[in-house]
Parts: sequence; structure tokens; C-alpha cells
Amino acid sequence: MSRYVILVILNTPLIIAGILKATVSYKLKQSSRRRFIVRVTLWLSILASLIFVEPLYSFLFSKNLTQTEPLSLFDVMQITGIILVLYIANQAFIKADFLERRVQDLHQELSIRLSNNSPKQ
Amino acid sequence: MAAEKVAIVIPAYNESTAIKEVIAKLKKALKLAQINYQVIVVDDGSKDDTAKLAQAAGAHVISHILNTGSGGATATGLSYAQQNGFTIAATMDGDGQHAAEDVIKGVELVEKCRCDLLIGSRLIENSGMSKVKVLGNRGLSFVTYLLFGINVTDSQSGMRIFSKDALDRLKWKTSGYEFCSEMLWRAKQQGLRIKEYPIKAIYTDYSISKGQSNWNALNIIKYLLQRRIMELFGE
Repeated sequence: MSRYVILVILNTPLIIAGILKATVSYKLKQSSRRRFIVRVTLWLSILASLIFVEPLYSFLFSKNLTQTEPLSLFDVMQITGIILVLYIANQAFIKADFLERRVQDLHQELSIRLSNNSPKQ
Repeated sequence: MAAEKVAIVIPAYNESTAIKEVIAKLKKALKLAQINYQVIVVDDGSKDDTAKLAQAAGAHVISHILNTGSGGATATGLSYAQQNGFTIAATMDGDGQHAAEDVIKGVELVEKCRCDLLIGSRLIENSGMSKVKVLGNRGLSFVTYLLFGINVTDSQSGMRIFSKDALDRLKWKTSGYEFCSEMLWRAKQQGLRIKEYPIKAIYTDYSISKGQSNWNALNIIKYLLQRRIMELFGE
């Protein structure tokens, strides 16, 4: 099997997961339409660049615009790793931001309630 | 105006030197203007007697257990105002930089101008601000315009007046000084009407020492950029 096909096969589930997450969050009204479009466009452009990487490489090589070696299996694994890290980092960032917001809200509400219970001078 | 219930929110961190006088002046001016008000001081985890002094001066004090930053303290004060049925809220600094008369002017204006968020701008008229500070504030206002498309002269002003609608709908996520710009962005997203009015700034040795360094502008820009980019991809 071509290494370029392996690259697409390995990364497609991650990209689909990314698109699905964006869609679910939009449908549940947790993110705006604009943000949904940006996220889906980002994942689709990653998919498109993975699909067209072989014709692009052949084109560049035939025009003598690149001298690099064709994709090795190690490169495939590396690219997959980078995309996986991108995906995980994005999810971690979202979760950390959400938790930070919750802690802030809790702190705010606690301070207000405590002030309402404190004796007036 | 007497029908309106006005909350004056003062976020304060280690302001024991000035807070008593700020509250006293404010109460005197509000009483003269016959405004139905409550002064709310949000003590943002001060290490000095800010909370005690503010309470002794007659303010309702909300004490943060942890220091969160100016944005977090302001959010707490406005949330209290919203929960307790205030129809107008104003925020001002606790270092004595703002004049009580400007709060009253803003409270009267917010009804007349039919706007939701009124910003007291120190840069519309010459307020005696140093050139370095003018440069820093203009720079941040320009960044606010570039990132969020909101054109105001003083995006970092601590004096702001909120309508009932703004109190109910306005929420922001950052807790440091960058909240000033983020608040404008959220107001725009919520379709709230933003306007400015000129205020003066009272510079004393104390208020100058309490003011932000221009270097903090870089931090503010970093946080705003981070927030702007994150919101493109995050929830």
C-alpha cells in the first residue's frame, strides 16, 4: 500500500473526530456558527493537504522545485503524531478554559454569598 | 433619577491609603444629587485593611478569598448588582483617580443617550495624563480596534456605566486588566450600544504609583490575542 494512502488512512479518523466535535458543539449551541465554520474549514484543509500531498510532491519534483526524498514511513508516523498532538492540545485547552471559568464563577458566587451573610456594621 | 437603583462598584486591591476618602467623597456627591445608590467595594484579596476601611466608610464589601485581578473583581461586583436588582451600575477605580462628579454625570447620561455601556474617556479632553500613559492607552485602544473592530478613545478606562440590559447580558472571561477590551468585544457581540463621555483623571502621587506600567500593555495584548485566537477554535 502506498505510504500516502497510509498517511490519509491514519489521519482521517482524527479529522472526522475534530469535525464531529465542532458539529456537536455547534448543534448544542455551545459555539457560534462562525467558530463552527472556522473549525470545520481548518480540519478540511488538513484533510485536503494530506490527500493532495502526493500529486503536489510529484508536480514540484517534476518542475525541479524540490529535491527532497519521497515520503518515508517514518515521515507518515511523524505527521500523524503532529496532527494527534494538535487535536489533543486543542481539546485540553478547551477543557482548561472551561474549568478556569467554572472556578472563577464559583469564587465569585462564594464571595457574594459570604458577603451577604457577614454582619453589617 | 431617584427611581433608579444605582450600584457603584469599586474593585480594590491594597487600597487602604485612598479607599476611605474615595467612598466618603462619592457618598457626599451621590447624596447631593439625590441618587438612590449603594457603594459596593470588591476587595480582591488585599493584604492590608482595605475591606475593614471600606466597610467602616459605609460600603457593602465583598471579599475575594483569592486575588483574581481587576476583571474578576469587577465581574463579582456587577454580578452582585445584577442579582440584587440594580437598574444602573457604575465602576470606578479605588485609587482616587476618578471624580465622583463624573460618576453622577455618567449615570445621568446613560439614560439620556439610550446606550448600554458608557465609557468615561480620559482621552477625549486633556485630563492631565502623562504623554507616556497617553501613548500606552492609545496603543491599547488601537489594538482593541484591530482585534475586535471597536473604535473607542480609551479602551482601558476603569470608569464605566452599565444599563440594566448590559448588567443582565454582559459577561467576560479574562480576569486581569485585559478585561477592559474584552468587555467591549462582548458588548459588541451582544449587540449592546457603546458610547463614550469625557471625564477627568485626578493624578496624585498615590494614583500614579498605583497605575499600570506601560509594559503591562504587552501582557494585555498577549492575553487578548490568545483569547481572540482561542475563540476561533474553542467552545
